[in-house]
Amino acid sequence: MTTSVKLAAAILALGLLTQGVRAQSSITVMGYSGLFQERYTKAVVEPFMRAHPDIQVTYFPLPSSAAMLGNLRAQKAAPQADVVIMDVSVSKAGTDEKLFDKIDESNAPNVRDLYPAARIPDVAGVGVTFDNLVMLYNAEAVKEPPASWMAMADKANEGKVVIPGIPDIQGVSLVIILNKANGGTDYLKDVSKGIAAMTEIAPNVQTWEPKPEVYVPIVTGQAVLGAGWNARAQVNNQTSGGKLKAAIPQEGTVFQINTINLVANGPGGEAAKTFVNYALSPEAQKAFTESMFYAPTNTKAQISPEALDRTAVKFMDKVIPVDWIALAKVRESIGEQWRRRVLPASR
Amino acid sequence: MNTLALPAREARGMSPAAVAMWLLLPIALVNAVGFLWPVVNLLRMSLNESEATGALIDTVSLATWRNVLTDSFTLELIGNSIGVSLFITLLTLVASYPIAIYLHRSSGLWRTVLLVLVIAPLLTSAVVRTYGWIAILSNQGLVANLLAAFGLAPPRLMFNLTGVVIGLTEILMPYMILALLSGFGRLDPRYEEAALTLGATPLKTFWRVVLPLTAPGMALGCLLCFVLAISSFVTPKLLGGGRVFLLATEIYDQAIVTLNWPVAATLSMIVLVLFGAALALYTRALRRIA
Repeated sequence: MTTSVKLAAAILALGLLTQGVRAQSSITVMGYSGLFQERYTKAVVEPFMRAHPDIQVTYFPLPSSAAMLGNLRAQKAAPQADVVIMDVSVSKAGTDEKLFDKIDESNAPNVRDLYPAARIPDVAGVGVTFDNLVMLYNAEAVKEPPASWMAMADKANEGKVVIPGIPDIQGVSLVIILNKANGGTDYLKDVSKGIAAMTEIAPNVQTWEPKPEVYVPIVTGQAVLGAGWNARAQVNNQTSGGKLKAAIPQEGTVFQINTINLVANGPGGEAAKTFVNYALSPEAQKAFTESMFYAPTNTKAQISPEALDRTAVKFMDKVIPVDWIALAKVRESIGEQWRRRVLPASR
Repeated sequence: MNTLALPAREARGMSPAAVAMWLLLPIALVNAVGFLWPVVNLLRMSLNESEATGALIDTVSLATWRNVLTDSFTLELIGNSIGVSLFITLLTLVASYPIAIYLHRSSGLWRTVLLVLVIAPLLTSAVVRTYGWIAILSNQGLVANLLAAFGLAPPRLMFNLTGVVIGLTEILMPYMILALLSGFGRLDPRYEEAALTLGATPLKTFWRVVLPLTAPGMALGCLLCFVLAISSFVTPKLLGGGRVFLLATEIYDQAIVTLNWPVAATLSMIVLVLFGAALALYTRALRRIA
């Protein structure tokens, strides 16, 4: 035998031997790229693999929920992914397209300990993280936390406000918050009061499409005030040495929900359900909240006080309930009002 | 005449038509797989419908087309896109023409150096160059600081149409210059010398001799830049600040943010029709020039 053949045989034998001990099944988890991937891998995926040496998890990163849905649509005939973490409204679209299997107590027992808000009617997946809209401010330029969202309308802040505008749901969230603050009752029927408030803020807005993310211009001082998601704001607060800070103004905030979903006919089978159950467990929820400050969806997760202070859990009275599924039906009309009234005020 | 000649050639082997067909086959195949098939898919997608949630409804109907074509916003988008792209094309032409003429007339090493300088920006992606413009145009950027040094209040140069026009014009200039150069073949310096000797003023020489001779290059450059401008979305996204509404950015929003693939596909087909119209105009213009 030549050396190369011997080597090949040895590798083959080694492979056969180790197969018995190592991963017997492998699953693919599709989720957000960047910071989320980095922190989720450390806090949830790696501990899961240590606890389940027989399951190999591959994290498949994509920049947005929509990109994930696009991938799932393309793979419908032969799915490559097993578990998907995405925004609840996109998850609803996927559910309607029959891309997911229902997650409940029967295939993921930890579902029984979830907050009611994490079980969404007519959505196959369940909530895995809660996030909320926060007002971002540059701590060097703004000394006191802004008390009101309308601080963004102050003449002093002209050209220094950054807001991810509609169709981004951060813009939608802001309209809903301001609608309620100005006496609006049902955002599903009428958001004109929120739109009117936005036209006051609009002249101060530097950009409705902050890139790469809304947090960057605030950290660099290119902008002073903005609206963004709490979890990323908290991480940016840490990494920027406190230059960016986040506040929940008096008008309140709204929740954004990321769901975890089981892909129908995914290649991983039972292992995928094991992962979903683990992701919903108190220990995984605790680990990820303490790593990235999304509020947990499991009632039994014991979060450290320091991490809890960075979530909206203590401000539940300020959270305006939003039915994202029902909202999707009026999203187009809100977008239309935004284009016709808010944007012209910002030119 | 040709048809009479054909049998004789056929006797020696393949007809020229057959040879041409065989030679065209590879690229035709590539185009069929890489272009035609995706376009057919896009057309098929535009016949689907979308639920309010974004869920795709697999069907065959013209409902999406009807909604898109009766929406006044679509007309606004088409008008904006054509207007902005034409304006950018014109600016690019005006900015590139002198450079191209100078390049055409220079020679030797100097010409090579200049040519490399013209092409060099193409080695960097449009995204990177757009970020470069952000550094220059932002309210703490180079231009704003320069103006401030002279005690002038800087105007808003970015996150609006101005920024998009500046960015895209610079990004498209290399294409325009190369297209112009390729069309300058007929521009012989002796024609200009002749015109000047015969008593034409330099302006008249330019107007009556240089401009007509360079028209084919201008037509090609304009077609190329118009098509690139109307389909560009990275630069309008980054420099437009959410205030500039173009077909390409709307297609992105519909496909990636609101998940309405049928509407995105319909808008894409509209862009394709606009390309077709631009190409038809170009062909007519070329015939008139010739």
